[in-house]
Amino acid sequence: MIYLALRDDFPILQRTVHGHPLVYLDNAATTQKPQVVIDAMSEYYSRSNANVHRAVHTLAGEATDGYEGCRTRLKTWFNAERAILTSGTTEAINLVAHAWGRANLTKDDAIVLTEMEHHSDIVPWQMLAEERGVEIRYVPVLDDFTLDMEVFEASLVGAKLVCVVHTSNVLGVRNPLERIIESAHAAGAKVLIDAAQGAPHVRIDFDAFGADFMAFSAHKMCGPTGIGALLVRPDAFQEMQPFMGGGDMIETVTTEGSTYQENEHKFEAGTPRIAEAIGWNAAFGWMESLDLEKEHKRMLEIARYTAKELRGMGMTVYGRHDDGDSAVVSFLHPKLHSEDMAHLLDAVGYAVRTGHHCAQPLLHRLGITSTVRASYYFYNTMEEAEKFIAQLKIILERFA
Amino acid sequence: MTYPVHLVELIEEFQEVEDQMERLEMVFEMADEVLVLAVDVWSDETRILGCQSEAHVLVTLDDGKVLMSGGADAQLVQGLMGILSIAINGAAPAQALLLSPDFATEMGILNSLSPGRSNGFRNMFDKVMLEIRRLEA
Repeated sequence: MIYLALRDDFPILQRTVHGHPLVYLDNAATTQKPQVVIDAMSEYYSRSNANVHRAVHTLAGEATDGYEGCRTRLKTWFNAERAILTSGTTEAINLVAHAWGRANLTKDDAIVLTEMEHHSDIVPWQMLAEERGVEIRYVPVLDDFTLDMEVFEASLVGAKLVCVVHTSNVLGVRNPLERIIESAHAAGAKVLIDAAQGAPHVRIDFDAFGADFMAFSAHKMCGPTGIGALLVRPDAFQEMQPFMGGGDMIETVTTEGSTYQENEHKFEAGTPRIAEAIGWNAAFGWMESLDLEKEHKRMLEIARYTAKELRGMGMTVYGRHDDGDSAVVSFLHPKLHSEDMAHLLDAVGYAVRTGHHCAQPLLHRLGITSTVRASYYFYNTMEEAEKFIAQLKIILERFA
Repeated sequence: MTYPVHLVELIEEFQEVEDQMERLEMVFEMADEVLVLAVDVWSDETRILGCQSEAHVLVTLDDGKVLMSGGADAQLVQGLMGILSIAINGAAPAQALLLSPDFATEMGILNSLSPGRSNGFRNMFDKVMLEIRRLEA
């Protein structure tokens, strides 16, 4: 194994699976956690566990500093004015649907989605459409795995909201977001970016980017599960109405009614995910030591090598791996079923994902029901990819 | 639980295997054991819900004995069907209904396959048992 120092930060990479060294290639589903994240969460529970905000005791102060420290880090990392902490990308998108959508969308308004969306950026809008009679328009995916931008432009007439995935979790394709945001705004529509796959790979300047909402999860960027964020532009923030009611989001409560906080707490009712926020902040601290651009290029090279080798083995590869794309390689063998392949790979320590990847409309468009997906992250090496290809050749010889 | 002799032999055969790939290869080979249910008769009635792959089973009585046929687009799923048909085909319905899915755990199959796949096995097992109960009624 070629030595990659940062691998030492991830204790899980030392384990074996079925007697073989773990080769973890399921990073688009979730990433592994560096020791600093595990330690930060353990330290919080060992020393500072308390509920946040109102209590005056020392532990509550430490917990509050830890929790709010994550929000401060998010605002700095993404250059955003408002950062609402959620349980993840899914809750963040649902929050937009409930807090902004219900307050601002009425019958005959239109929402523009794409065929490339994850279910979490489709289902909340279908539910809202059923409730409010809102029209949903889908932008098709072309044969080169990109969005049909002509249809997109035409779909904007009368649209109030455009929801688009930053980078496809199946194809790894990064969408032309700058053009999408500019056109949508010109047409008077707000823009929600599902950055679950984008935020972990590149630094995004939310303010310069210009989107109105951006949703993403901690666990896909070395942070804990159970926490994510919704970044919101100030004008869109003002248009959001409280969704969940309860403690922490109020200013005053009387038997006659309640008034609400003016800041992000308005959308964070109840005890928040304190340990997770502290862990996520530690993950940002760890990622800060990396040259993300350089690491992204390295991962993309590994993905390109993998895709080329797979095509050479007769596999169909779904994706293009252009410069801005992520290091996701979805593929299918003409004979060996995707699930069979994933189980056989697991038998020798390779963790890949199989199935519809929560993107059934996209797979339907591609005329398939599942793919095998290998997705790379900072701790993966070219040597792992070479071994992966070699192992696949062995499997095909034996089982296909 | 006591199992039919041919199933006990199969359990022992699987238990002797330590290499995971080899065990999966054995499940693959069991795909040939299932009486094939032709794709053109696959329907919503024969579909096994909860499997990630497309999987179908049909249970009938042949001279009063259970006869299961099936098919799947994934070889491992069809292999699991093969194992189940070895366990129940030729048995009287009342006898087949005594079978517990635990035999798959004893063979190491539930440990060797993912929770999704294991649930698929359980769903397949439950569907087959339901069909047998219907035939018995």
